[in-house]
Amino acid sequence: MSGSDLLDRRLVVVTGKGGVGKSTVSAALAVLAARRGKRVLVAEVDARERVAPMLGGRPTGPVVRPVLPGISTVNVDPRHALEEYALLVVKVRALYQAVFENRVVRFFLRAVPSLAETLMLGKILHEARSEDRGRPRWDLVVVDAPATGHALQLLGVPRALLDTVPGGPLRRDAEWMQALLSDPARTSVALVALPEEMPVTETAELDARLRDDLRLPRGPVFLNAMPEARFTVSDIARLRDLSGSPPPLGPAARAGLLQAEQRERADEQADRLRSLLGRPLLPLPLVASDRWGRRSVERIADAMDGAI
Amino acid sequence: MGALLRSLEGRRVAIVVGSGGVGKTSVSAAIALSRAMEGGRVLVCTIDPARRLATALGLDSLGNSEALVPPEAFARSGLAPRGQLHAMMLDVKRTWDDLVTRHAPDAATRDRILGNRIYQQVSGALAGSQEYMAMEKLYELSTERDYDLIVLDTPPTAHALDFLEAPDRILDFVGNETARKLFAPALGAGRFGARILQVGTGFVAKTLSRFTGSDVLSDVGDFLGQFQGMYDGFKERASAVRSLLTRPEVGFVLVASPSALSVDEALFFHDHLRTAGMPVAGTVANRVTRELWPYPEPVPGGVQLAEALGGSGQGDPELAARLASTLAQHETFAHADAREVERLRRGAPGPHAAVPRLEGDVHDLSGLAALARHL
Ligand SMILES: Nc1ncnc2c1ncn2[C@@H]1O[C@H](COP(=O)(O)OP(=O)(O)OP(=O)(O)O)[C@@H](O)[C@H]1O
Ligand SMILES: Nc1ncnc2c1ncn2[C@@H]1O[C@H](COP(=O)(O)OP(=O)(O)OP(=O)(O)O)[C@@H](O)[C@H]1O
Ligand SMILES: [Mg+2]
Ligand SMILES: [Mg+2]
Repeated sequence: MSGSDLLDRRLVVVTGKGGVGKSTVSAALAVLAARRGKRVLVAEVDARERVAPMLGGRPTGPVVRPVLPGISTVNVDPRHALEEYALLVVKVRALYQAVFENRVVRFFLRAVPSLAETLMLGKILHEARSEDRGRPRWDLVVVDAPATGHALQLLGVPRALLDTVPGGPLRRDAEWMQALLSDPARTSVALVALPEEMPVTETAELDARLRDDLRLPRGPVFLNAMPEARFTVSDIARLRDLSGSPPPLGPAARAGLLQAEQRERADEQADRLRSLLGRPLLPLPLVASDRWGRRSVERIADAMDGAI
Repeated sequence: MGALLRSLEGRRVAIVVGSGGVGKTSVSAAIALSRAMEGGRVLVCTIDPARRLATALGLDSLGNSEALVPPEAFARSGLAPRGQLHAMMLDVKRTWDDLVTRHAPDAATRDRILGNRIYQQVSGALAGSQEYMAMEKLYELSTERDYDLIVLDTPPTAHALDFLEAPDRILDFVGNETARKLFAPALGAGRFGARILQVGTGFVAKTLSRFTGSDVLSDVGDFLGQFQGMYDGFKERASAVRSLLTRPEVGFVLVASPSALSVDEALFFHDHLRTAGMPVAGTVANRVTRELWPYPEPVPGGVQLAEALGGSGQGDPELAARLASTLAQHETFAHADAREVERLRRGAPGPHAAVPRLEGDVHDLSGLAALARHL
């Protein structure tokens, strides 16, 4: 699919290699959706919180809070998700504290395969389908998911539970979770890549895993921080001649040459990614800014507008 | 030789740390290469190197063991080392398995642990596991081999402190008395549910089993039980590693990209190393955009550049405008970088290197040599 109806989904999951711009893309998607009149929640997953600060707000913590008109954020963390869920089951806070606040138990809970992921995904998907007076609470939930390996673990949770849990409440939870995640009308997994060797390789692997192992609806691949094509081949030849000139021409020509080289290398990697994936990419511009914040995110959102 | 390499001259172990993607693996290999060029017998232990770099180091098929980078590889890059460069890729799972194999009292215990689901989680996906094994491997290499310098690359840690705290945290659990008591009812065969009710702590296990199912709990009990006999060996080893890290022959190299997040992370780690008495060899700001307009005059605009272009008989206002905005953008990046580099230098005083953004990736020996020139 292209990105064209991405924001009409109920749930958009954003993932990719560490540091490629997942939080930026998540924030920009939210900004764009809010511009279109939607009520959006951006959920970060046990992260050093980035989204609310990028949008000019304070870090949100584990309780949903509005950050801009139409946009709320939350940082889902396993402890808080566990507490919410455990209290539903255990009912008595004192009992919860005796059992779950125990240091040893807390470590144990981390070592149990996928428990933290189950709780966090459950909390997010619960938000995605929650209603308020008969109306969905959010038009769109954007998940700023963790980097590749951890994201696969997170998204693979319901299927893993269905394979191992024969019945009971946990299985019923896994059933609706999997139904929501794998429904292309409601859910889309968007990838973010950079035009560099390692991110390209990792993105292609991630895409294949989503398709073959998790079988989830795959959305657009954003190629982030793509330098503009500014100079033609003949410009470049000319800049080479000029690069030894005294200022101001020499430095300007050298800046031009560096930019052109950067674009050329990025193009090679973009081609490589396109052919590895066999589908088009949605390029997002490299944005120069003194501080990465709301204005930079708005610029990325502008670039997305029209394409999605 | 730059300040950073000089600071490493007298040391036998360099540990290269920093947040994800900043260039830890590249810097590790460059440090190792430069010492080998000068005649040292050097080992670089890498973690998930980029494919082409791995190929350049001859690491295509090798797992957890060291291999000499062949002289032909150097010759191809026009380099003639006076010493030897060895490289390896850390295999976390294998290192865990080796450790269990070494400490297990017998083959049956070993096999039970290796097959246990909780062990697989602890050795595979558990946060801190990679860090722990990087330390473990370092200890093994530094005590059992006689390299002049071992350079340890480290995994991309979300939280820098994991690196120092992971071994204790993991060992705390596997050797924890309370844990054993909590989960002991699950030990051995028999109906788990029935036995739980007989012990005082049963309600904990019972409550938990509502979340995890009783299979998982019995795996934990089993895992802890099997580990009991090996715990002391593990613990001793971990504290030996820790004391190794405070010796003066070790030096941490903090790598950061010139971005606010990465520098914050490096400074945070720096403070903790100092507090823990672990020696810092220096800091590296990597992939720095170099300033092209160091002059007091403002960055030239399109008109000014068009005039200059005209002067050389090639007037072209349209090209001039593009050049002006390109130079301005370049300087925006350069100034933002310079500000972060300065913050790193002030926050972590001592030997420092700033490595410019090199053309192309650092994926072969000549790329590493180029990087090393800035260290
Ligand atoms: N289009 C862009 N142009 C220039 N810089 C960018 C762009 N996108 C992201 N960046 C820079 O990259 C940094 C990291 O971006 P971001 O936090 O979105 O990545 P991430 O993938 O969420 O990282 P993590 O894996 O740590 O969560 C930003 O702070 C910003 O400095
Ligand atoms: N000074 C530099 N100039 C240009 N490219 C660089 C420079 N340093 C590193 N790179 C490139 O940046 C990418 C990331 O570097 P590297 O793999 O060394 O980072 P890392 O910190 O080990 O990453 P990870 O945290 O994922 O292990 C590589 O493609 C590498 O070639
Ligand atoms: Mg992020
Ligand atoms: Mg690395």
